[in-house]
Amino acid sequence: MSVPIDDEAVNALQGALAAEHAALWTYTLILAFVPDDQAAVARQDIAGHRTLRSQIEQTLTDVGARPVSAQPAYATPVPVTDALSAGRLAVTAEADALAAWRSVLEHTTNQQLRVAALKALSEGTVRASRWRAATGTAPTIPSLPGIVR
Amino acid sequence: MHPGPPLPPAAARLTRRRALALGLAAGGLGLAAPVLAGCAAGSADDGPDPLIPLVTRARADADLVTAAITADPSLTARLDPLRSARTDHADALEKEIARVAGTATPVPAPAPATPQAAADLEAVRRAVADAAREAAGLVSSVPTARAGLVGSVAACCAAYTAVLGAPQTS
Repeated sequence: MSVPIDDEAVNALQGALAAEHAALWTYTLILAFVPDDQAAVARQDIAGHRTLRSQIEQTLTDVGARPVSAQPAYATPVPVTDALSAGRLAVTAEADALAAWRSVLEHTTNQQLRVAALKALSEGTVRASRWRAATGTAPTIPSLPGIVR
Repeated sequence: MHPGPPLPPAAARLTRRRALALGLAAGGLGLAAPVLAGCAAGSADDGPDPLIPLVTRARADADLVTAAITADPSLTARLDPLRSARTDHADALEKEIARVAGTATPVPAPAPATPQAAADLEAVRRAVADAAREAAGLVSSVPTARAGLVGSVAACCAAYTAVLGAPQTS
């Protein structure tokens, strides 16, 4: 028998879903501020986050939990006024998503969920590294993705 | 207009509904596949700590990077962050091993580096790809307290593999 997706795992998945909602909101916002090449990257990132969002929502629904909704808007740590502040917001949004996915790893023993969370963590690390590079944030690839520093 | 909560979005007000389904229906995250029973994550083992090989590999990778930079100093900017990352990995993994052991058990130093055929960029890329695979292979079976750490190591190494696999400069 499989290890069930218990309350703890459900809560962690809801946290990941909330972070995915926030990331999607972020990318939609920053599209207007970044140059074309970065906007193209942002659109790829949006596609990635949309996929993750729908996968989590499906999984939560399958186990009888109601997926959390997106907020109408999110407070940004600093106002987004130009390409650099826009890129930095993407760095923040990706860091939050990485932390949420790492938390999923730490709150389930379900092997499929672990594998899915690792995939999200790995893909998110690559996404994060592009925005970290674009904003001069070192190290470009964080040593321990998902740990908030 | 409607200032939302600050990032990161808190998961505080989440619906807490019991997950009743034991046999999971087709899941969006690929949860439909039958699960291996038995190798339950979280069980205590008697053997040597399974994280020890990860520490050894991380230290060896850091040494390999040093050798590669020595052989070709132009690689410094590209590879120095990786050396830092692999050192961070070894330190964090050792800390976790010591936590579980209840004592600081020094992990045996890596075997004296077998003279590398070539400590070059390709050797580093292969090494970090192997490291990503090794850590990813452990993610499903380690206890929850370790899954985040091992997953982070795997994700970091996978990202370096991707970056090093796509040379940006000639």
